[in-house]
Amino acid sequence: MSSTLSNAVRPDDGVDPTMRPGRLRPRRDAQAPARRGRLGPALLILPALALALGIFAYPLAESMWRSIADPQPGVQNYQWFAASAANWAVLGRTLWVAFLSAVICLALAYPYAYFMTISGPRLRTALIVIVLIPFWTSLMIRSFAWIILLQDTGLANQVLSWMGLGPFHLIRNTTGILIGMVQVLLPFMVLPLYSAMKNVDLRLVQAAASLGARPIVAFTRVFVPLAMPGVVSGSLLVFIQALGFYITPALLGSPSQMLISQYIYVQVNGQLQWGRGSVLGVLLLVATLLLLGLLALLMRKSRRAAGDEGGLL
Amino acid sequence: MYKTTNSRVKPTLGLAAAALSVLLLAGCGGAGAAPAAVDLGSGPAVAGTVKKDALKGVNLTFVSYGGLYQDGQTAAAVTPFGKESGARILADGPTEYSKIKAQVESSNVTWDVVDTGSYWAAGQCGTELQPLDYTIIDKSKVPAGLAGKCSVPAMQYANVFVYNKDKYKDAPTSWKDFFDTKKYPGKRAIDGTENIEGGIIEGALLADGVPKDKLYPLDLKRAFKKLDTIKDSLVYWTTGAQAQQMLESKEVDMAVVWSGRAFGAVKNGAPFEPVWNASVVVMDTLTVPKNAKNPKASMALINYYLGKEQQEKLTEETSYSPVNVEAKPKLDAVGKKFLITDPAVASKTMVCNFDWWGKNYTNVAEQWVAWVAK
Repeated sequence: MSSTLSNAVRPDDGVDPTMRPGRLRPRRDAQAPARRGRLGPALLILPALALALGIFAYPLAESMWRSIADPQPGVQNYQWFAASAANWAVLGRTLWVAFLSAVICLALAYPYAYFMTISGPRLRTALIVIVLIPFWTSLMIRSFAWIILLQDTGLANQVLSWMGLGPFHLIRNTTGILIGMVQVLLPFMVLPLYSAMKNVDLRLVQAAASLGARPIVAFTRVFVPLAMPGVVSGSLLVFIQALGFYITPALLGSPSQMLISQYIYVQVNGQLQWGRGSVLGVLLLVATLLLLGLLALLMRKSRRAAGDEGGLL
Repeated sequence: MYKTTNSRVKPTLGLAAAALSVLLLAGCGGAGAAPAAVDLGSGPAVAGTVKKDALKGVNLTFVSYGGLYQDGQTAAAVTPFGKESGARILADGPTEYSKIKAQVESSNVTWDVVDTGSYWAAGQCGTELQPLDYTIIDKSKVPAGLAGKCSVPAMQYANVFVYNKDKYKDAPTSWKDFFDTKKYPGKRAIDGTENIEGGIIEGALLADGVPKDKLYPLDLKRAFKKLDTIKDSLVYWTTGAQAQQMLESKEVDMAVVWSGRAFGAVKNGAPFEPVWNASVVVMDTLTVPKNAKNPKASMALINYYLGKEQQEKLTEETSYSPVNVEAKPKLDAVGKKFLITDPAVASKTMVCNFDWWGKNYTNVAEQWVAWVAK
């Protein structure tokens, strides 16, 4: 271990020469006061940088490389993707499910966060705790709990059948995936929404009312636009996380409703087609970036229309 | 490894270097350790035996699918082998083919004996797996045709068609009934994983009128067309535990499941009956990855595993059927009912064509995944 440690700072190891003790001593001394102030913080981020490079950049580069080099160099993996309708179905389904998760989370979280904004401190704390409790519970345990509750012979269907309804198939399909994902992702919508809403000056809504706006108008034309940044950041957080979900769809979904993360698993682990798995990963990344780019463009346009130059994206 | 030291390394830089070296080490840990010279004794190998203390100081990692099955393997063969041979046995799991590939690719193989699917093993012989040495492994008691170049059977089981006997008064008796959703309405569970096995494809073709002796080569197009007709009634299980749970909760009325899981469900009171003449016998295999550190020791373990007593105990612990023709496991009534080597069962079941499956596995699995996910 110790030999490897020193190995990483050998003189010809590619470390920035200015950081190497000894050789550049004179130059450093000349500029010592100014440089030391700047170099200290720069050095502090090195561990994080090394970690980011090693854990994120390297694997990403590796999967991009594999998508065109495994098992042999060429674009056969991309051709494979384009040729099969099942591949497009899986990608489309993944984007659709992520979109639905974001919409459902928004619909549930908006009133909840608004209620948090207008309630007193004690109730607000309780509301935050309620949102955060699932955060502290293992994802696996929650997913298994959902299986037991939602299966055809489970509690949810028993209650429904007492009311003369059902039975509904609530798991091993997209419904199950959505129920599980929304529950897991809801805090990621509630918290950004709440933090945006609490910064909205509620006196503005009152001012609108005092100028004759009906409550609904005051709310939609004053409060909603001001809280919009929370909607955008919450939706993005939920959407992007939903794209890569694995455990919840694997447990609550079905192979026939497979999402892309499960499909990657099948390619990498079941079929040993690492190149194809890499293609799926790369395409998911590209699709996500394209959607984000589109959204950023739309946001900028609408902001310019509103005469606001500030940027969230 | 270099031996340069530099005492003037700044603490922050040292931290960065530590982070880097951890990353580097993670990629190349544990290499080395040349195979110890192993003396397994002279004379022909006898299944179920190993020379006393022949493997003192050797570490072996046995990998299987976990749960009841691996516990049974461990108790029946792996632990006793460690005691007799002196080898230190480690357990890992579940088997993941990508991990074997990653180990072989990085020339750092830490799995010594791996329980895998039989078709996969046949297809990867020479690429991810190494040929077995049948001077170390005695296959004379293995059922004919089940030992391959790179694999021996680990146990036999069937993909068995079971139905809820409380639901259907007029009991289904064939694959035709499995595909007849008018006469037998209800959900049917099948294996939805990428590890497709003999069973449902053969069943679809038999139900569609293909005679039993003309099944292979399997007409996949025709099979998928037949499967399309019941796709709305299908649900998919992805783990054995899930399959068993679907039976026990009576979520499905019919299913094709591993015989061991059907046994587990019936033992726990699920009202399911097997239809043996619509069931296909398959197997798991034991394999040794390419570049395994001590192949002789790995194969000594496999030879021990195939013994009569070991196979009897394995069956008694797991309900999966033995792969030693002399094994006579002691089972209760339910266990005997699901013992596919029992003549009463074996006379009805059909054994899948391992040769065809092994050669075509990659292609079938690919089409299967696309059909399920479409």
